[in-house]
Amino acid sequence: MTDVVVKQEATDAVDLESRIIELCQQFPHGITDQVIQNDMPQLEPQQRAMAINRLLSTGRLDLLRSNAGLLYRLKDAQAASKVKGADNQEKLVYQIIEDAGNKGIWSRDIRYKSNLPLTEINKILKSLESKKLIKAVKSVAASKKKVYMLYNIEPDRSVTGGAWYSDQDFEAEFVEILNQQCCKFLQQKADAAQESKQGPLLQRNSSYASSHEVWKYICELGISKVELSMEDVETILNTLIYDGKVERTILSAKEGTVGCVDGYIKLFRAINPLVPPTGLVRTPCGVCPIFHECHEGGDISPETCVYMTEWMAF
Amino acid sequence: MAGRGRGRGQMTFNIEAIGFAKGEALPPPTLQPPPLFPPLEYRPLPLLTGEETDYLLALKQELRGAMKNLPYFIKPAERKKDIERYSDKYQSKGPADNAIDWAPDWRLLPRELRIQVRKATKAKKAVVKTQVPKPEKSKKASESENLEMLKNLETLEQKEQQAPSDEDGAEEEEKEEGEEAEEEVLDEEEFEEETDYVMSYFENGEDFGGDSDDHMDEAVY
Amino acid sequence: MCVSSPRTEFAVNHQPATMTAVETRLCELLLREHFGELVSRAGTHLVHMGPQPLRLVALGTGLNLDQVKKALCVLLQHGMASFKTGKRGVSGPTWVEYTADCAAMLRMLRYTRYVYCAKTLYGDAGELLIEETLQHGQLTMSAAVRRVADRMASTADEGKTVEYSDVAAAFTNLVNTHFLQRCLSGKEEGESEGARPEAAPMLVSNEKDMYTVPKIPLIGHGKRRLSADSDDLDAHPAKKRKVEESLPDDGIYWRVNFERFHQHFHNQAIVSAVASKMDKTAGEIVRTMLRMSELTTPPNAAFTQLLASTEIFRSLPPEYGMTKPVLDQYLSLLADDPMEFVTKSGESGGGTFIVNLLKSLKTMARCTLESIVQERFGSRAARIFRLLLQKRHLEQKQVEDFAMIPAKEAKEMLYTMVSQNFVTLQEIPKAADYAPARTFYLYTVNVEQTARFILQRCYKTVTNLIARRHHETKENKRLLEKAQRIEAILASVQASGADEAQLQEIEEMITATERQQLENLKRTVNKLDKSEMQVDETVFLLETFLQASRPQ
Repeated sequence: MTDVVVKQEATDAVDLESRIIELCQQFPHGITDQVIQNDMPQLEPQQRAMAINRLLSTGRLDLLRSNAGLLYRLKDAQAASKVKGADNQEKLVYQIIEDAGNKGIWSRDIRYKSNLPLTEINKILKSLESKKLIKAVKSVAASKKKVYMLYNIEPDRSVTGGAWYSDQDFEAEFVEILNQQCCKFLQQKADAAQESKQGPLLQRNSSYASSHEVWKYICELGISKVELSMEDVETILNTLIYDGKVERTILSAKEGTVGCVDGYIKLFRAINPLVPPTGLVRTPCGVCPIFHECHEGGDISPETCVYMTEWMAF
Repeated sequence: MAGRGRGRGQMTFNIEAIGFAKGEALPPPTLQPPPLFPPLEYRPLPLLTGEETDYLLALKQELRGAMKNLPYFIKPAERKKDIERYSDKYQSKGPADNAIDWAPDWRLLPRELRIQVRKATKAKKAVVKTQVPKPEKSKKASESENLEMLKNLETLEQKEQQAPSDEDGAEEEEKEEGEEAEEEVLDEEEFEEETDYVMSYFENGEDFGGDSDDHMDEAVY
Repeated sequence: MCVSSPRTEFAVNHQPATMTAVETRLCELLLREHFGELVSRAGTHLVHMGPQPLRLVALGTGLNLDQVKKALCVLLQHGMASFKTGKRGVSGPTWVEYTADCAAMLRMLRYTRYVYCAKTLYGDAGELLIEETLQHGQLTMSAAVRRVADRMASTADEGKTVEYSDVAAAFTNLVNTHFLQRCLSGKEEGESEGARPEAAPMLVSNEKDMYTVPKIPLIGHGKRRLSADSDDLDAHPAKKRKVEESLPDDGIYWRVNFERFHQHFHNQAIVSAVASKMDKTAGEIVRTMLRMSELTTPPNAAFTQLLASTEIFRSLPPEYGMTKPVLDQYLSLLADDPMEFVTKSGESGGGTFIVNLLKSLKTMARCTLESIVQERFGSRAARIFRLLLQKRHLEQKQVEDFAMIPAKEAKEMLYTMVSQNFVTLQEIPKAADYAPARTFYLYTVNVEQTARFILQRCYKTVTNLIARRHHETKENKRLLEKAQRIEAILASVQASGADEAQLQEIEEMITATERQQLENLKRTVNKLDKSEMQVDETVFLLETFLQASRPQ
């Protein structure tokens, strides 16, 4: 740690950042906090921390851990220098991954494209990953399948699962809330239609809402942090169909009509169940988890059943 | 096996295999076996209620009582009793195996099934007669005679089942007796009054499982 | 006694399938409850063993011959068994073999529903006529009318008479609408003039007269029985014979046409489903359509006859006050609805429509299964179940994506539903080696299989409910006996004009705790009885569905 230049006037934040980057460029292997301190001794620790945080969060600096402590290193410079130093095979793989863009690429496909043996590719991938040139992203489309893409690229929805995933974790609660909101919207629409006392045909027709309408309603609710597409909302509406609460009709429509996709409009409406819960589930035996262990004269038997006892007392 | 003699001697298997890291605290030993009836995750829905349900319930319980009093309800022939009971002589004569209490249309049944249709039994006429004065006794029962009354309970119960509820019935019976003497008839009191089953909804638990050691007709609530 | 393969001459077995242990056990309990121990033993034996001659039943049950005869008479009288004759060799002895009708036995579960249904359709007379017919298995018209008139007279207001002719009218209605039908009858005498009498009569059904009421004079009115009725004719079998043989309809027996009731229940279920899905008016329109075709559509038909909208309009009860345009709107809505209960089949007569009986049954059965999954495993599992029903085959990953349920949860639910037979897992190997890594695992729902499974669960449930009822009664046997006796004392003491103090003293022999206990018992028994009937609704729907799905 030599060559310490003392600069008195570097207090402006922008200057401060560019000075840190300058320092990093001088030491491509990275600088410690001490280097910056020595470079700008008059700097308040707070100012220094803020500047570094900003640089880290904007992706211009990397934070590395070395036996000398924490190191700050320039991202691009380091990448460029690493790839420069890498052999041709590494360059080839890097190129293939770069071409795959935000969808990423599966290691087996890298093998087909590069014609390198899989063991070799795995080695290269590891090395590129450790240099933070690329990253592996778990694809939600196929569990346990990792795809590779450049380190600073935002993965595509098809990889991350879109609106329903955060960090590859499925946001079940979010989906449930949307499911309920969509249902509420359609139910209100159906209720209003029923109260309108129109003829039966009109009544039914006015109970329908197009996927566009539902989408608009959900967007305006502002419950979603991420931007939802109409397709996203249709996915939610489909779960309502599987819940038996909603019915779908597809109409052909003129291209250009609001909510029209490929000449069709999807209409949804809330429906009542066809049959009430059946008699069996009104008895303890209908919901009994140990039904198959129940035998006359056994420890679990109709005579000794505590579910029945409890149920009869109620 | 491999586990023996190592740090955790009581383990006969490698605990890491079931997901515990070395040195990690194991869950406390379970002191109780898993419950025979684990808590219910979902409860049964409430039963349907309402007028229709209530009517159906009444119908069902009536029908059950009524079936028991029809001649198709065959009570097994009495077994040899170890004890002679006081009530025995008031019991309508035990249903005999060799006769049927109703009149099937034999024209519609295989010949081999033809079985004697029950003949009138004089014994039962006697029952009716001897029972008529009985209520007098209990009428006189006073406070101090409670004990005696309880003793008579069983008798009375039998009487309830067999004696006609009004004297007219008994008179008719007697009037008819002469005419019927030669006929193959069965006394009317063999079967309980229809009104009884209207009220009865409990049946004899012992019908279940087939152990009819002590025969009690369905309780009248 | 010859026991060597009596089966040989009776190759044809009526039973559609062998009965399961659960069904056999339920038959046993129901028989015992309705006909006592003896009939139960003989009946269960026949269910278990299949067709057997008299002596084998005796041998198998350990009952003596007379007991078995009595039991078989009861079963035959109530249509719960049938007999068949066969000859061993050309000149060999004739055998009579008895076959249990398990389905008929299980129908005892539904007796109250038949009775109640008759009440709603034909009032008190209808109710009692069906009840009497069920209790006796079969009755002549004159006997049924007399019994019912007498019963009605004993509950009627003082001074009011119940005319036979009124009851006979209800009887005729029940026959005309096929709720009652003629039993098989013996061949006319003279037809079977042989050297010696046949071992068993040839029973024939007379299609022509199946629903023809005999013209008999039924004049008189019900007699109030002062000594509460003890069915005097039953008690005097010989007298009964004499009386009945002298009646012009002697030998013409009637029985309940269960199929017709089932058709009616099925129709009712369609009406309520339509009313629930659309609205009451739509339900009533479908009710009218079903009523129009009821008697012309065989009970197991897949759909009704063609119904023109003009005809439907004419048949609508005027009190609905519906206009033709509104009816037409409803009809097109019905035909348009994805549940497809109604289909438009043509344009003539302002449009012709049919009600899809089979389709509706399948849909309702499916919905029933869905509701069971919902209540048993929760709404998320129900979502998966419906999804599988709609998409037929799905891989686990697809299930997660469509249902939008996290992988772990979906996996657990699928596993539970597979283990409980609601969902099946199909393995489709991509390679001949069946290696797991190269195998598709597809989840699917087999509705029929699941329905069959649930039906068994229902039978077992009813068995359990009955068992528990017997248990509760038995537990309180002493108390019940006591209560019964005290009631008896009270009655007799009251009749002899005892004073209040005496009565109260007797009443107090049952303590407050005991009274509470009796109250609890009553509530318990009521609850168990109600459940039994409500489970039967599931049983009915699934039985009917499975019967209709069976390849013809």
